[in-house]
Amino acid sequence: MELFIGIVNYLVFFAITAGTYGVLSLGLNVQWGFTGLFNIGVAGFYAVGAYTAALVSGPPPDVWDGRVVGGFELSFVVGLLAAALVAGAVGFLIGLPTLRLRADYLAIATIGIAETIRLVLKNEAWLTNGVWGLQQIPSPLHEPIHQGAVGFVRARPDLAPWLQDLISKAYNWFYLALVVFVLVILYLAMRRLARSPWGRVLRAIREDEDVAAMSGKNVFAYKLQALVLGAMIMGIGGALYAHYARFISPNSFEPLYGTFIVWVMLILGGTGNNKGAILGAFTVWGIWAATDFITGYLPFTAPQAAALRIIVIGVLLEVIVLARPQGLLPEVRRRRHLRRPKKTGEADSPPP
Amino acid sequence: MDALSRIPQLLVYGIVSGSILSLGGIGVSLTYSILGFSNFAHGDTMALGAYLALALLPVMAQLGLPSGSLGPLSFGWDFVASLLLAAVGTSLAVILLDRLLFARLRDTHRITLMIATVGVALALRNLLQFVWGPQPHYYTTTIQRAILIPQLGIRIKPDQIFIVAAAVLLALLLHLFLRYTKMGKAMRATSDNTALARVTGINTERVILWTWVIGASLAAVAGVLVGLENKFITPELGWQMLLSIFAAVILGGIGNPYGAIVGGLVVGISEEVSTAFISTGYKPAVAFAILILMLLIRPTGLLGRRR
Amino acid sequence: MSRLTIERVVSGYADMEVLHGIDLCVPEGEIVTIIGPNGAGKSTLMKTIFGLLKPTAGRILFDEEDITGLSPDRVVRRGLAYVPQVENVFPSLTIQENLEMGAFILKGHLRDRLQHIYELFPVLGDRQKARAGKMSGGERQMVAMGRALMLDPRLLMLDEPSAALAPNLTATIFERIAAINEAGVTILIVEQNAKESLKLSDRGCVFAGGLKCFEDSGPALLANEEIGRLYLGG
Repeated sequence: MELFIGIVNYLVFFAITAGTYGVLSLGLNVQWGFTGLFNIGVAGFYAVGAYTAALVSGPPPDVWDGRVVGGFELSFVVGLLAAALVAGAVGFLIGLPTLRLRADYLAIATIGIAETIRLVLKNEAWLTNGVWGLQQIPSPLHEPIHQGAVGFVRARPDLAPWLQDLISKAYNWFYLALVVFVLVILYLAMRRLARSPWGRVLRAIREDEDVAAMSGKNVFAYKLQALVLGAMIMGIGGALYAHYARFISPNSFEPLYGTFIVWVMLILGGTGNNKGAILGAFTVWGIWAATDFITGYLPFTAPQAAALRIIVIGVLLEVIVLARPQGLLPEVRRRRHLRRPKKTGEADSPPP
Repeated sequence: MDALSRIPQLLVYGIVSGSILSLGGIGVSLTYSILGFSNFAHGDTMALGAYLALALLPVMAQLGLPSGSLGPLSFGWDFVASLLLAAVGTSLAVILLDRLLFARLRDTHRITLMIATVGVALALRNLLQFVWGPQPHYYTTTIQRAILIPQLGIRIKPDQIFIVAAAVLLALLLHLFLRYTKMGKAMRATSDNTALARVTGINTERVILWTWVIGASLAAVAGVLVGLENKFITPELGWQMLLSIFAAVILGGIGNPYGAIVGGLVVGISEEVSTAFISTGYKPAVAFAILILMLLIRPTGLLGRRR
Repeated sequence: MSRLTIERVVSGYADMEVLHGIDLCVPEGEIVTIIGPNGAGKSTLMKTIFGLLKPTAGRILFDEEDITGLSPDRVVRRGLAYVPQVENVFPSLTIQENLEMGAFILKGHLRDRLQHIYELFPVLGDRQKARAGKMSGGERQMVAMGRALMLDPRLLMLDEPSAALAPNLTATIFERIAAINEAGVTILIVEQNAKESLKLSDRGCVFAGGLKCFEDSGPALLANEEIGRLYLGG
């Protein structure tokens, strides 16, 4: 029974993390899946969201803290919205110079913004406490739920130990419900958007920018909207992470955890498919956890085991790209309305 | 010391690191112009070269190559041989990668290829970490005396002169290759127009092979030179330089190897000179600032043509 | 003898079939012109012959040998040469380098061949070191044709050689085409405005909607009133 409860507790913890990744993956799906925007700086938007939430909702600087501002102790919801807004604003700024250019430029600029954000987090201690990071970020309703659960268990010492254990972890269940709630809301919203005229324009842009432009769409504006919306969702993911982890530092947002795993999740799940984005998050996070378990049994040092796990993720990405580029749940393609015309000068355009 | 008086010395550092960035950038630019995608694994290819040289160094010494220092330099013939063999080894590894992965994706969308290079970057870097660990490794622990040039207010190490000379030599060889050999001309032709190159009868697969070999060889040399300049190598070495390399390539005009050389020098010098004015912690962000500035005012780059 | 034979070829792009079963015969030593409106499948046929597009049905025979689906560099080795309509030179290469690329598959010296091309197009000989990207439309067309002739092809395929050229240049180009044909090269031309081309053609074919709908000798096509009204601009 203890083992079972241990597994249940682990699964709750697992689902909270995977669900948070599901949010990031949904955000990336808006950018890459719907619109074809090649953002490999997910970690930057994720970090901005996490730090914004922590600064808006967290406590003011401690005595040993390097900070001089921040920590407004506002409510969780305000922090979440602020995280979305600030991450969206960063997306807006990065989109302006890059979205008129080829995909390569956006890609490299997003790598750049993610690295630059990490540098700012490390160097601007007055705001971020530098490499020591932000601590004691409050988890919403932690006090009443946790104290209530602990009080409940104390008042009933006759309960079976496993039940006591389960109840005393009630907060994790609450947070899981919160993550799932946010994820479901975002999923429903994205599904609606994907089917809306707006979503159709995004897909038209992804399929062929020139055609979309020729049918009178302001391609740049649509791409910018998609980039900003995706960045906002990633910011929300960051806020969810910060409030659960309660401690964040620049190292929490290295490209591996912040960017690459999210990409593998979306590609494995199914680029362009919202359900796939969430399925991919849970699957890849499951694989990631399993490799942790397996490498524990192999005769490797800790750094070797860590490296091996990442190699597995890298190889997994290549295998998907080669063998099943459409992912586990391929995008549901409706009939295409726009057809690619031949480039000018080519004689064989289809007769009108 | 005031900021301005440090500038001559920072220029020296900038030229040295710029030379290395140029060598790295050439490969990125060639891959872009011939294969049509940005190779985000190029930095980690450099790291691979650096580690192959590290592994070859004791082998060379055992084969009897003298490890005594060459004149004022901190290394001997064993190191030079390792450097060259590392270039060969890196080329072979990259060709293998092309056969296993990139060649199979040749006809897919170019972003698919870029995603694949991101995966390669990740796997390659961690392969190095798996074998050699995350801690720094050293080619040599010899302490080198810097040459003082008081008139200019600079000091420069013989190894640094070697780095710049090696970069200049390789850039010159590349120029001669592109300008005067049949394969070099075919590479320029393919870069101009791949479809036309094919109907002309140019064997574009062989052009691609040469592109990988040149890019990987220069990357390997660049990686080893980073180790020589920094005095140590880590698996992160290439990834850390990737942003600077791309900034250099875009600054010079992506797809143009000559632009990569110019861009590398500009980015290298800017990064070093910036430390006279802003916190050293932000040195990596200088490349990013150059990149954004360039995208805003002239996205085709200094030497770029419209594509 | 038939130099090139197309048998019921079906071809096109991934999501669009353009040729619905084309038959065509280009006899050795002749000039054949294909005319037809935009979208008739003329360029698609050229690309399919040259291995840039794979036909989904039918056969392509060159000197009685099956070349269906061969890669472009193999097709070049067989003795075919192709001058696309646009972007048919390497702009950053010099004229001489462009010509050298035409003989990429050969080993050894190219001096005689280059000399031959420069005799055919003296303008190019005067500007060997000039970059092709800096040249006028007519000169580019000559570079492109010169490049295609470097291997002494048995069949030269030209896609709209006179498109976007001034009338006097058009005359020069066609006069050169006639000279090349005199020297023994079979020529297949695709043209939209084909009066000039039909004048020197042995045969003309009319394409429409991905099918060949009419075939006759060049002068007869020129004289045909209906063809003239429909395809040759009255």
